[in-house]
Amino acid sequence: MIKPVAYFKPDSLAEAVEALQNENARPIAGGTDLIINMRNGTENPGLLVDVKGLDELDVFSANGKSGITIGARVNLNFLIDDAKLRNICPVLGESALSVATYQLRNRATLIGNLCNASPAADMAPAMYVLGAGVVITGPHGERKMLISDFITGVKRTALGKGELVVKVEIPEIPDGKMAFLKKQRCRGHDLATVNVAGIADPAAKTLKICIGACAVTPVLLKGTDELYRETDNVDELADRAAELARKSIAPIDDVRSSAEYRRDMASVYVKRLIRKICS
Amino acid sequence: MKEYSKIVDIRVKVNGAEYRESVPANMTLLHFLREHLMLTGTKEGCGIGECGACTIVLNGKPVTSCTILAAEVDGSEIHTIEGEAKNYQLTDLQQAFIEHHGEQCGFCTPGFIMSAQSLLDRNPNPSREEIVEAVSGNLCRCTGYEPIIEAIEAVARKKS
Ligand code: FES
Ligand code: FES
Repeated sequence: MIKPVAYFKPDSLAEAVEALQNENARPIAGGTDLIINMRNGTENPGLLVDVKGLDELDVFSANGKSGITIGARVNLNFLIDDAKLRNICPVLGESALSVATYQLRNRATLIGNLCNASPAADMAPAMYVLGAGVVITGPHGERKMLISDFITGVKRTALGKGELVVKVEIPEIPDGKMAFLKKQRCRGHDLATVNVAGIADPAAKTLKICIGACAVTPVLLKGTDELYRETDNVDELADRAAELARKSIAPIDDVRSSAEYRRDMASVYVKRLIRKICS
Repeated sequence: MKEYSKIVDIRVKVNGAEYRESVPANMTLLHFLREHLMLTGTKEGCGIGECGACTIVLNGKPVTSCTILAAEVDGSEIHTIEGEAKNYQLTDLQQAFIEHHGEQCGFCTPGFIMSAQSLLDRNPNPSREEIVEAVSGNLCRCTGYEPIIEAIEAVARKKS
């Protein structure tokens, strides 16, 4: 059973921030992680601040040149269904489609997935390769930071007391191919054993690859632009990127996989990803 | 600091009927439907968003009612399995489930009907893949899924 809890649905961001100052207050958007955690007793907030009434969080715009803005109320099915987004940044919809089920995606939000900060979060790798930033509001005003600075550890973020993520901002989308791949034990309900996202711009010779579920936070590979410039051969590039991946991650043994298997799968999935986006 | 209440007043429309209720904030929408409104057609399987037995349609979209709090749905419109058949007349989809043996123990059926009906409402002529995807969040321990998919397909083909 869920323990007794207070509930408040503010009409303004200021009211939300004020309510979030309370000891043990938690924002709730989709609630698909939070409510289950409350049921298990792993999280016991005293006050739920329902942010679904806030207009500032209900924003969405997608434009290749000026980038993409996604508010905290936007759910995952929206990212899958939006035709414009599918066109300019398909990796978001691909990542979202791998999350849970149709029913849960009607509630679950992109920003909830990021704030939950699971090392296996399926929306995170795409955010890293796209260089997304999060816009945070709180008692001391607004601040922005890169996703890689926002996610600080297992289930840990840089959010301070009373702060709330309002939206994510993705800068100009590079021309080129992008993809998300996920290794899971069974399709649909399982979390990722390994997930990878990548984006390659052949004209600018930039290559970004991020691996999830293989360290305390997603790992954005360093030095991939240089690799991309050094070789035009896709097989060689795949092998070298896979080697780089092996060295950059720090997987653990858990219920879903051994560390050794994760390391192997990270290497296999990085190769598959490179073949998909670099050829 | 402001005081915040553990009891929330909500106003919802369920299968066309208006309700104004006071609910504890820790009550799930599933328990609200089953224990407050006595609409026990919606089932609780896992209680953690994995089986789809508790699927209802909230503001036009299928969702798992066990992962939502009743407090969150103030002002919403809800459809449950009880609202499907009208005047003892089953819907085409319900009839097709019977004809294709889409149910055995029946525990998963209300959830499947809500997911599938919602698919047919937004896409009257879905492909087999789209059907499978739409009900992939609904688990069935009895039928092996094939008769369920066939039942949904039969309705889709009849409409088109
Ligand atoms: S009871 Fe809600 S998904 Fe299983
Ligand atoms: S008919 Fe028994 S679970 Fe589906």
